[in-house]
Amino acid sequence: MPDPAPLVEARQLAKVYRGRRGKTVEAVRELTFAARAGEVFGLLGPNGAGKTTSLRMLSTVLAPTSGSATIAGHDVVSDPHAVRACIGFLSGNTGLYPRLSPREVLTYFGRLHLMTDEQIAARIELFAGLFGMHEFLDRRCDALSSGMRQKVNIARTALHDPRVLILDEPTVGLDVLASRSIVDFVRRCRDEGRCVLFSTHIMGEVARLCDRLAIIHLGRVQFLGTLDELRARAGADVEEAFVQVLEQAT
Amino acid sequence: MTPRTVFVIARKELQDVLRDRRTLFFMMLLPIVVMPLLMLGISRFVMQQTVERRARVLPIAVDPAGQTALRALALSWWSAHKLALGVVEARMGVTAIGGFAGLGQLLQPDADTSPDEALVANMAQMLKAEHDLPPEERQLKQDAAALFDLLFRSEFIDPGSLPWGGELAQGVEIPSGLPPALADTRVALAVQEKRIAAALQLPTEALLTLEDAHESTPLHVLYDSSQSLSKEAFERIESFLGAVNRHALRVRLEAQSLPSDFAEPIRLVAANVATDSRKVQAFLGGLLPYMLFAFCFFGALYPALDVTAGEKERFTLETLLLGPVSRLDIALGKFLVVFVAALIAAMLTTTSMALTFTHGILPADLASTFQIEFQPLALLLTGSLVLPVAALYSALLLAVGLYARSFKEAQSYTVPLQFLLVLPMMVSLIPDVEAEAHLAWIPFVNISMLMKELLKGNYLWGFYAITLASTLLLTVAALAWAAWMFRRESVLLRS
Repeated sequence: MPDPAPLVEARQLAKVYRGRRGKTVEAVRELTFAARAGEVFGLLGPNGAGKTTSLRMLSTVLAPTSGSATIAGHDVVSDPHAVRACIGFLSGNTGLYPRLSPREVLTYFGRLHLMTDEQIAARIELFAGLFGMHEFLDRRCDALSSGMRQKVNIARTALHDPRVLILDEPTVGLDVLASRSIVDFVRRCRDEGRCVLFSTHIMGEVARLCDRLAIIHLGRVQFLGTLDELRARAGADVEEAFVQVLEQAT
Repeated sequence: MTPRTVFVIARKELQDVLRDRRTLFFMMLLPIVVMPLLMLGISRFVMQQTVERRARVLPIAVDPAGQTALRALALSWWSAHKLALGVVEARMGVTAIGGFAGLGQLLQPDADTSPDEALVANMAQMLKAEHDLPPEERQLKQDAAALFDLLFRSEFIDPGSLPWGGELAQGVEIPSGLPPALADTRVALAVQEKRIAAALQLPTEALLTLEDAHESTPLHVLYDSSQSLSKEAFERIESFLGAVNRHALRVRLEAQSLPSDFAEPIRLVAANVATDSRKVQAFLGGLLPYMLFAFCFFGALYPALDVTAGEKERFTLETLLLGPVSRLDIALGKFLVVFVAALIAAMLTTTSMALTFTHGILPADLASTFQIEFQPLALLLTGSLVLPVAALYSALLLAVGLYARSFKEAQSYTVPLQFLLVLPMMVSLIPDVEAEAHLAWIPFVNISMLMKELLKGNYLWGFYAITLASTLLLTVAALAWAAWMFRRESVLLRS
């Protein structure tokens, strides 16, 4: 069976920040990769490598300085609305409105995605059942534990049934149980045929989740391939292989 | 722009900010509760201070001969006016003990040095009573009150009993040209240290022949105008002297067979078209713009910062930016809520101010006599000015809140903004500033001046057109700026 068409495609994507006195910082240089439906694509790299900037460009929050990218066939620059309609974005520090309840937060984002109130209610019921959220659905978000909040965030990310999920270090600062709920969520998305872009620097998560990955360092892609291809570089140890790639780059 | 999305965002923001205690405080509690309490408290305090100051027994240094002379002058005045006072008394419908006769009783040379307290209290009440008297009778009553105040609300102290020693403070000096009794350091020191409110030196010899003489006799007073009680003492002496002078002048003129208006070549007869209601209306018109826009600003402040800098701080802004909504829709949705909050605060302020004035500050009987009714057209035009200013405040505060990295940083930016946007509204409180044409071009000052004129019933159409047009222009510019800020990634992701 031929490979399905890529849902995420980045071509020579670059981002240059202009500071004061004409000083420039190249955060991302010539990022090129493609990710398909039913695939978890990992973006790895040390802090400051350019992972978050890349994901922000793909999710239309930042405009690329050069290059292009498409999500489900929609260009991130010329058609940002369509792109945002088919992605779900989650990061480790995504917040919730503290004075609203999870139900109110989810309803709000559902309405922004032009869902009807009936559709929203059905999806909330679905996620409440999946993540055990019934007991705190109507409690204010500022009274929730970090684990509960992350469950609400996951539900918010997937509420509108997006084809592409962009997860930027979603497990940062979470305990084991909360992290596990994220990992389970990613697996479920893959099984449902969604494309998941997953940025992390936790090698255990990479080993458990990623089908293919790109290692970014100094704004450039230093490695692009499957997990097995990465392992082939340094035996079975993913972390060792990762370090080798970084060392070769510098 | 998608109206449905704007509405969804505005509805959520409204739901959110209405659960914020700070917003509720500044939008509702401050205008409804705090402001009336503050206004009532301040006005009651000022009124109480004035009443207490006027009723206070003030220590005045005057030698025993001078004390006798003061009493003699007052008695002479009373003897000459007791019949006229009887007429006033009848007009006032005084039936209580004494009436003005009580004043005569108090002034008798053989009266007790510590007069009957009940009689003094009765006199004080009668002399302060408000009555619709003709001008001459009103003057008579005021003169009687002046005599009463100086003689029975003063504690006369012999300057010779003042203690020696001490030094005058910096900035206090004994003025030149004083008679030796007042040029004494201990007298000046007693005034400075508030042991006496003033010191008097009466020309007792000259006073004996005051009504027959042809020249003016000096009466020296030493006081400190920087102290309120000393100033009050001086005013009492001045009023007392006014009463005595009016009487002495009349006697002198009669002795010369001259008519009583001989000494007044031109008599001022003034007629004021402004009724008391209009005066109160003018005062409210001056106060309203400042109060209205100050509370409008504070009403917008917290919601504006909460939906911008607050969202950044809570890491929810990026999630919102990732929704399938345009930045303009987000900006408009947030703007709508801030604008509504500003308008609610403005409306509550106006209502609470009006109620405080009519049911709180003014005494009930007085409030019912004032017809504080602004013309519907004036209110309509005033409202047409509130809308663009509320929009302008909302847009500027949104832009500033969005630029800031955190709520705290945003608050620090709003302090200079308050000075810039609210303080110019105070110009309407300055009584002598008129709405001249060139002021129509100065932002905020024009609104304040125009509102004052409109509420007085003066429709300055040219001024109104320039003010409204320039304010609308500024509002559109501020809105465009806020919308532009919502499109700048360096601002949105500034952290």
